[in-house]
Amino acid sequence: MYNLVRFLIRYHLLMLFLLLEAFSFYLIFKKSKFHSATFLNTSNALNGAVFNTYNDITSYFYLRKSNDSLVAENAALRAMLLQSKYSGDVDTFSQTDSIAPKLIQRFVYFPAKVIRNSTDNANNILYIDKGSLQGIHHQMGVICRNGIVGQVVDVSDNYSAVMSVLNKDFKVSAKIKKNNYFGNLHWSGVNASSAKMDEIPKHVPVVKGDTIVSSGYSSLFPENVMIGIVENVKSEVDKPFMHVDVKLSTNFRNLDFVYVVKDLQRSEISKLDSVTIKANK
Amino acid sequence: MFSIIQQNVVRFLLLTALQVMVISNLNLSPFLVPNILPLFILLLPFSIPRWMLMLIGFFSGVIADIFLGTLGFNAAAGLLVAYIRPFIINLITPKGAEFEQSPNIFSQGFTWFLIYLSIAVLIHHSFYLLIESGTFYNIILLLTRIILSSILSLAFMFIGLYLFSVKKRRIN
Repeated sequence: MYNLVRFLIRYHLLMLFLLLEAFSFYLIFKKSKFHSATFLNTSNALNGAVFNTYNDITSYFYLRKSNDSLVAENAALRAMLLQSKYSGDVDTFSQTDSIAPKLIQRFVYFPAKVIRNSTDNANNILYIDKGSLQGIHHQMGVICRNGIVGQVVDVSDNYSAVMSVLNKDFKVSAKIKKNNYFGNLHWSGVNASSAKMDEIPKHVPVVKGDTIVSSGYSSLFPENVMIGIVENVKSEVDKPFMHVDVKLSTNFRNLDFVYVVKDLQRSEISKLDSVTIKANK
Repeated sequence: MFSIIQQNVVRFLLLTALQVMVISNLNLSPFLVPNILPLFILLLPFSIPRWMLMLIGFFSGVIADIFLGTLGFNAAAGLLVAYIRPFIINLITPKGAEFEQSPNIFSQGFTWFLIYLSIAVLIHHSFYLLIESGTFYNIILLLTRIILSSILSLAFMFIGLYLFSVKKRRIN
């Protein structure tokens, strides 16, 4: 006992150091659920105001650029409207009759503005200015006009934290547009414009320049949202799968306006999911 | 003019604000992630007790973490810098040298400061970026990040030191 006390007195500084260091690591490992919520709670009071002001000022510098791209996006969307399509069918009535009643809205989009963003860390999280009061929930997908952005990981009343594609923990189900082969896509971990797909079998014809889009298998994103372009295909002799390097179409360095995707049929799908999981057990 | 406590509180607020509002938002490149927060710990008075130094290092990190959304990372790295600071000072200071109350670039000189800050910043950045990446998997990338970020942080720190220390000497 005496030796123990002497030991503690002798090494009390090292003990304090190890204790506090252990506490920091506890905070770090607990953070995946906790840290952004804490951040967001303080952000309501202080960060929200500070970063909004900061963003209000800096966004003026990009006003022309974002207006231009919003106009371009409007034009592209207008071209997709049914009115803009020419139908070769003589009998247009049957076409509208057969299609229109069957279409049900599945995805709705909430516009939001990025108030804080990072691209150079090992785990990048961005913050948007809409939260639970505006209808944002945990685990909604986030897209922008050029491609996918990430997934909502935490919400407070008026702000949300979004795990961007540039995050070690982010995975999305993606497919090659021309032949529908799918696999998980994740960040390559180095720069803000490249990602990897590792589960494409070797026999699949994929070449540089192919388009990668979302598969629509998860409730995060609708089908066929642009993700990127194949940049490089590597295959090793002893492995059954290829490494596909993808150049992301989203430019994470100048994100401003994004859309949060809400899947209206999510609860239905997850209910079915839990039933099948139970049945398999 | 200012008491030593006021001086350090003001320095802490300035450095944290600068890191949170400007430097963390630079997003220069994945290889350049400067961090000037350790400067606050490194400029605390020499006579401060070690346990208090460690507590200050830890809690200043926690406060910065709350604003940066990286809870734990700056606290762990700041604590490490506070813990090793006395060892660095003992290592690089000639025996019998008499120093003023706090480290000051004009009383210790540029060379002493360069060695002092370089060792501390290199250790801080190595530790910070290692726990941030959480793996040794991409060791070349990690080392490049550490070295380039440390150089940029040191540059920022020296600019700050020269801008703000001149005034201090005039007052003394």
